[in-house]
Amino acid sequence: MNSQLIEQLNIHLGANGLPYNIPIHPNLVHLTLGLFIIGVTFDIVGVFFPWEKWAFKFLALSVERARLFDVGWYNMVASATITFFTVAAGFYEMFLATPAPNTKSAWGLQAMETMMWHGIGGLILLALIVAMTFWRGWQRYVSCKNADKQVKWNYLVAGVTIMFLMYIHGTLGAQLAADFGVHNTADSLLQMGQDLKAGLGDGN
Amino acid sequence: MLKHLTILNDHNLPYPDTIHPIVVHFVIAMVLFAVCCDLIGYIAGKTEFFEVSWWNMFVATVAIFVAIIFGQFEAGLAKPYDLAKSALNYHTLIGWSLSGLIAAITAWRYVLRSRDPQKLPFHYVAVGLLLVGLVGVQVYLGDQLVWVYGLHTVPVVEAVKEGILP
Repeated sequence: MNSQLIEQLNIHLGANGLPYNIPIHPNLVHLTLGLFIIGVTFDIVGVFFPWEKWAFKFLALSVERARLFDVGWYNMVASATITFFTVAAGFYEMFLATPAPNTKSAWGLQAMETMMWHGIGGLILLALIVAMTFWRGWQRYVSCKNADKQVKWNYLVAGVTIMFLMYIHGTLGAQLAADFGVHNTADSLLQMGQDLKAGLGDGN
Repeated sequence: MLKHLTILNDHNLPYPDTIHPIVVHFVIAMVLFAVCCDLIGYIAGKTEFFEVSWWNMFVATVAIFVAIIFGQFEAGLAKPYDLAKSALNYHTLIGWSLSGLIAAITAWRYVLRSRDPQKLPFHYVAVGLLLVGLVGVQVYLGDQLVWVYGLHTVPVVEAVKEGILP
């Protein structure tokens, strides 16, 4: 966002362009992705359970199949809940971002394109995660309630497909950080030609 | 093929982006959620959450060693300038300590679970809360390395190569 518009907010911003030291969005991302990926992974482990029994026995782990599906369900619920905050923090920090206009990412995109796709992609992923969670709940409590396998194949395929989208989406986010230096204190000081020692000394 | 691995890009990496911050998803998210599930199980008496907690700790235990492998590799290539060294040292120290702690806590949990999967002593829940605190400190230090000091970001890598960083 252009700096005159950001000034309308009338908040004190540090060298990183944020009213605080460390961006919040990338920290919530750990939770969104970790919970989603491990949730779907446990459903995959649950579905293939008959083929894995020997491995669990070998490791001396007592495993009940239904408990694996519990992980698949509760991790998804947690991921969907936290992702609203991930997206909210992401938009707040994106509105405050002033990346260098004349650099390009490793994928040949400029900063604005990368931010737009990451913003739109974030909302789409939020919608997908929430939809997956409802679908998962429907399977757990209604359609597969008394089945050995609590999830259908197409749910797992959808989950893995969404993981692939997350990989592309996450790379765009990583490029905003590491290629464009968005909300990065050292990068901003370097771009402004300021002394790092003075800037980093009082900044944290 | 080995030659390919020794060519470093503008992030000073032999592959496109840092991998350590991705692997740590599976430590941070799993430990935090495991402790949440323990609290729900312990306070609300919903003991089915204890199994969810155990499996999440199991994943965290495997993931932290992978995180350390990539962390050490990428720290070695980070060329930390003097200002960043202190945070990197503490991050390394706490990271290795966490691998031992998380493995020990998961081993403890394994024993508790073998005895009675429906029960959890107060001490275990308390240790879980301390673990969350330590993970929080570790995440903060890692955040500083990326977001304050900009290790492996293009402008900092450039500046380090030019030798202009303090």
